Parts: sequence; structure tokens; C-alpha cells
Amino acid sequence: MTGHPDAPETATATYVFAVGRRLDPAVLSGLTGLAAGFPVRGLTFGPLTAVVQHVPADEFTQEAWQERLSDRAELERCARAHHEVVTRAATCGPTVPLALATLYRGDDRARQALAEDTHRFAATLDRVEGHAEWGVKVWVPAAAPKRPETAAAPSLRGGGGAGRAYLERKRGLRQAREHHHERALRIAEDVDAALRRLATAARRLRPHTSEMTGEKNRVQVLNAAYLVTAVRERELRDAAETWRRRTGVDVEVSGPWVPYSFVGEG
Amino acid sequence: MTDVVSGQAAPPAYGPATTNLADILERVLDKGIVIAGDIKIDLLDIELLTIRLRLFVSSVETARKAGIDWWETDPALSSRAARHELHEENQRLRERVAALESGDSAGSAAPKSEAGA
Repeated sequence: MTGHPDAPETATATYVFAVGRRLDPAVLSGLTGLAAGFPVRGLTFGPLTAVVQHVPADEFTQEAWQERLSDRAELERCARAHHEVVTRAATCGPTVPLALATLYRGDDRARQALAEDTHRFAATLDRVEGHAEWGVKVWVPAAAPKRPETAAAPSLRGGGGAGRAYLERKRGLRQAREHHHERALRIAEDVDAALRRLATAARRLRPHTSEMTGEKNRVQVLNAAYLVTAVRERELRDAAETWRRRTGVDVEVSGPWVPYSFVGEG
Repeated sequence: MTDVVSGQAAPPAYGPATTNLADILERVLDKGIVIAGDIKIDLLDIELLTIRLRLFVSSVETARKAGIDWWETDPALSSRAARHELHEENQRLRERVAALESGDSAGSAAPKSEAGA
């Protein structure tokens, strides 16, 4: 109402996506970010540059986020927008992504808060430089393989009758399931151990439940992330392929990711 | 074998080009560097979100093709389903009232906690 062209300093908050050493503003052009109409831009603090955007303050309150978390489409839009900006910024060099929904009352506050963590950002940038994150998932078939021999065995022993045959058959099935389960976990451990040898750092993520994957026929037994130098990428892919062939399980590789899983403390 | 690695040249082109939502969410929600913001946002971790949103990895379209459409009957996600649930609850209550009115013991035999459910 003041007629000032960019008066809404009070009505906007500053959203921070990522931090890097240098940023070519050109790579950010055309990005929508989290709020259409507000440019995604660089904000320097000391020797580093943050990737930020003004967003309407009233759409980014605690309450607004709570609602967002109940709206799958809206949450997906925000997560993908955040990821897109982080990914684009990373084309300029090592990049530390911030967690979703890091917000300040304005650029000055953002600059001040970020500056307090300059050393931490710098150390993290050094650590991830020249690396990418690769995601690896191992899947096994959901059901234990059928074992006809365990079902046939009881009939050879007399005296037990149908009840006993039934119990033995049940036991055989249970053992087959347990065996299947143990084998799956062992493969997951073996794959992880092999890939860790190629990685600078590794993290186990929680395997996605079938509710998340929507898969009925296979179960995720390993969900891991590896921080890998460019030189080792091919080796990682080859190792995954080798395990796939050797064990018959699905080994999925995704990447390269900006090293999200290797910038935090956890 | 003949990998020519261009050393310090351009950083890798990050992607991945196609990514499922769960992969992105577990990274942007649960990972990334955390610094205190001015606006305190308590995000749920991805497991809680999954429970809350019945979050689905692949696109809705893919899931539909696979015949998985349970979210359409999830009360949180569909008002149609909400009406359906209301209808069912009404049905249950009517039966309960009928049982109580007939002096039948079924009503009092039900666990007390159910009344608050």
C-alpha cells in the first residue's frame, strides 16, 4: 500500500535451498522453485553462496506446512521443486543441500544465520567435492520358493496320519520361509559390504515398506547410499551388475544424486 | 578399462533424470544439512508421512495400472470415501442402538473402549 515496488519485505520469507562456493546465476534461470513469480537466486555470505528464493510468508508458516504434509500433491510439488533447484545449483560445483523448509524472515536474517555456520558448510563442501551419491536398493521375491520335497517327505513315515503330515508340511514351509528370509538378509549385507569398499562413505537408509513401494511381488531388503568419486562410478555399477547376476536378486542403482545423505550429522 | 576421467573438469551432471517420490522425500526430508530457521517447521519423517499420506512411490497413474487404488477409499484422501465411512459408522451405531433397545446383552458385552473409538 506504500506504493513501493518491492514493499512486501514483510510479507515474504527467505527460503534457502542449498549452499555452494560459486554459483552461476544463469543455471537458475527458468526455475519456478517453491513460489511462482519469485526468482531463485544467489545470496552470498562470506566466501560462500546460498541459493534462495523469496516466498509469500503466509504460505510458509508452520500451519501451512502442516497442511502441506496432509496433501500428497502439494508435498510432492514442494519436494520435487526443492530437489530441482538443488540439482541445478550443483551443476556449478560442490553443493550442500539444506533440509526442506529452511526459512528465514528475510535475506538479512538468512545471511546472518548461514554465516554462523560458514565453517561447517565449508568443511562439508570439501568432503563432498568430486563425489556423487548413488542409491542402491536390493529386492528379493516376496514369497519363499516352493519346496515340493518337504511336502512329500512326511508320507514316507508311517503312524502319524494326516495330522502329522500336515504339521510336518507346515514346518517345512516355515523353514523354507526362514531360509528365504535369511538368504535375503545375507545378500543385502554382502552387497552393502562390497559396495562400501568402493565408496568414500556409506549410509544405510530405511528400506521402503511394501506400503510405500506398492510392490506385491518383491520386498526391499537393502536401501543404501554411497558417496562415490567420479572415478569409481563405473566400478559401482559393475559391482551391482555382478551381484545381480550372481544371486538373481534385483539390484537397482540410482544416481548420481547431489550428496544429500552425506551432508548431515546423522 | 578405457575410462577417461576428466579429473577436476565439470562436476557430474546430477539427476537422476527419473526419480520416484520416496527417493526424493527421504533425501529432502530426512537428509540435507539442518540449520535452525526463523520459522520452526516440524516435518514428519518419511515413515510417518507414509502412514499419514499413504504415500505412494510411483505415480498415481502407474499405480492405477497396477490395480492399486486403495487411496481412493482412504478417508484422508477422498471425500467420497469419507462419506462411505460415515455411512458405515452410522450403520454400526444403528445396530448398536437396536441391540440396546431390545435389551439384548450384546451392547453391554462390547468392550468399553469401543465407545470412544
